[in-house]
Amino acid sequence: MKTAAPKMTTTRLKAGMTGWLFISIAVIMIAAFYFYPMIQALILSFKTGTGSNLTFNGIDNYKRLFTDSMFITAVKNTFIYLIFQVPLMVILALFISVLLNDKNLKFKGFFRTAIFLPCITSLVAYSVVFKYLFSADGLVNSLLLNLHVIGTPIQWITDPFWAKVTIIIAITWRWTGYNMIFYLSGLQNIDSSIYEAARIDGASPIRQFFSITVPLLKPIILFTSITSTIGTLQLFDEIMNITKGGPGNATSSISQYIYNLSFKYSSDFGYAATVSYSIVIMIIILSIIQFKVAGEKK
Amino acid sequence: MKKMSFLLLIASLILLSACSSNTEKAATTTDSGKKEITVWAWDPNFNIAALKLAKDRYVAKHPDVNVNIVEYAQNDIVQKMNAGLNSGSTKGLPNVVLIEDYRAQNFLQAYPDSFHDMSSSIKASDFADYKIGPTSYNGKQYGVPFDSGVMGLYVRTDYLEQAGYKVADLTNIDWDKFIEIGKAVKQKTGKEMLTQDPNDLGLIRGMIQSAGSWYLKEDGKTPNLAGNAALKEALLTYKSLFDANIVKMNADWSQFLAAFNSGAVASVPTGNWITPSIKAEASQSGKWAVVPFPKLKNVPESVNASSLGGSSWYVLNSDGQDTAADFLKETFGSDQELYQDMLSKIGIVGSLNAASSGKAYDVADPYFGGDKVYKKFAEWTKQVPKVNYGLHTYAIEDIMTVEIQNYLNGKDVDAVLKDAQGQAEAQLK
Repeated sequence: MKTAAPKMTTTRLKAGMTGWLFISIAVIMIAAFYFYPMIQALILSFKTGTGSNLTFNGIDNYKRLFTDSMFITAVKNTFIYLIFQVPLMVILALFISVLLNDKNLKFKGFFRTAIFLPCITSLVAYSVVFKYLFSADGLVNSLLLNLHVIGTPIQWITDPFWAKVTIIIAITWRWTGYNMIFYLSGLQNIDSSIYEAARIDGASPIRQFFSITVPLLKPIILFTSITSTIGTLQLFDEIMNITKGGPGNATSSISQYIYNLSFKYSSDFGYAATVSYSIVIMIIILSIIQFKVAGEKK
Repeated sequence: MKKMSFLLLIASLILLSACSSNTEKAATTTDSGKKEITVWAWDPNFNIAALKLAKDRYVAKHPDVNVNIVEYAQNDIVQKMNAGLNSGSTKGLPNVVLIEDYRAQNFLQAYPDSFHDMSSSIKASDFADYKIGPTSYNGKQYGVPFDSGVMGLYVRTDYLEQAGYKVADLTNIDWDKFIEIGKAVKQKTGKEMLTQDPNDLGLIRGMIQSAGSWYLKEDGKTPNLAGNAALKEALLTYKSLFDANIVKMNADWSQFLAAFNSGAVASVPTGNWITPSIKAEASQSGKWAVVPFPKLKNVPESVNASSLGGSSWYVLNSDGQDTAADFLKETFGSDQELYQDMLSKIGIVGSLNAASSGKAYDVADPYFGGDKVYKKFAEWTKQVPKVNYGLHTYAIEDIMTVEIQNYLNGKDVDAVLKDAQGQAEAQLK
């Protein structure tokens, strides 16, 4: 035993070295391209000034967040999207995936593709299309007018309320299919014998949905809610391309505010970094809450 | 094994450093010994077209120089310039760049050593007076003033006639008269008088500059919103336009173009850079006229001339700056014939004083009913009041768009300006 011990350590050491060898390139790359910029951005968030004339100003940038009405509006807007869009999309995706999982449904492949396609189209292209669909004399308005649902055209993009609705419709259209794919794969992992047993016991389809499907899909629902929350907090392209944050700041998002601070206004990169870190903090807090509410107890 | 891992580590480090130390070829000379400069600008019908004319004339005299013209959207240029200059490297940036006057001070002050001093290449006094403020900093002339941005009121003569008005009735008017005519046009023809994007306050900018006023005080930093008589009058006028129900809403640039190209509106008050876009609709030839930009009625300083979104050329402090400076000096900085060419071929009214007369200005344009519109624009360029755009035009404009929405929904005008002032002071530290 005594003689074997040092040999064991060398072998373990060798094995350890080989392991490190394999991951060393990845570690260096991650350190250089992920952690270094993150730390630089954190340092930048304590500086102020325009362009490259930056000076340290302690936590003033973080204090400024709480008095900055544009930032507060952007946060409010982002949370309005979050509160309405994430549950809407998750429920819709769940509903559609259950329908599409039906064994008796024909043209399953066509429907699945059709609903999944939006999330692989170009963000800019679809935003531009949406802008035209929802413009004052666009397709949506003429359709609604012809069906006599409305009397006067809705100002989808130039009215503060309807502009928010347009954004929510746009992101729901794009991301529902993405979440649906996760639910479909989850549904296919549920053993059909469970449903058979439930049917024999006389459970209605609705009861089956709430008592079997939803509980068994819980981890996937958690996953999609968290990724959707993160996605919504980083919402940028749709806002930038459909409404540019307008009218007024009615649809501006936090990410768009970061863009404005950096490139539209007077290049305040320090404060823009501070706003970016505020998103990081919000995502961490929301993810913890979601894990606590829906996560598995260990 | 240790050796192996050490070698691999070294190899990966070399790989990494190879990514960063890859020395790009300097922009000055190409393999054939030719000097090369790169120019960035936006708008193919206007700036890029002007650049091509300038390039042809310059290269004819300097065959050893190659001018590389690159078109980007204005926002992309702003982003690339900020990212590049902020990184402290001029690699990947152009030698000459077009910058909008509203943003010029921002660049000049944020990156003070990045631009080439043009004081010795051009004479500032050769250009329209109001262009010098935005293009100079600390007593040095950095920009070569280009697009005058001078505003005019483009009107549809056929709609006006239907409503019982002649072009003379709209010449040198104030905004109250404009609204009065607009109502009549709407009543007789059913067409709106103008189109507006609620996110773009260009019209208000035009109105306040016509009175020699701006969002900021003379120092270019202190917000000048509450108690700004010209701005208050501009807001009152803006609301009257909406109350009179003569505004067609648009949500972006292409809808803005569509509004007048499709014949939906009777007038377009904007910068002269819109001329090529107006003329793009050949079927409306002869139906348009240009009259001076209306002035503010209750502000005595207001004149019938203003400027909107003009721009100027800048040389970056990098390899090839001397060639770039020489290119600008010999073309946009002094070449009067080039300006004649730009006018007759593209319809560009520059801001070089010496170029504001000549044959091209005397040509009657059949599109505008045979009127010598360019002579008019050149004349108005001399009357535009000089203001300091300062550093924060677009930051303040975002505050103003929100407050103006509140104002249009019934908030008191003084409260609107007071609140905007408070927000601007809190934000622009």
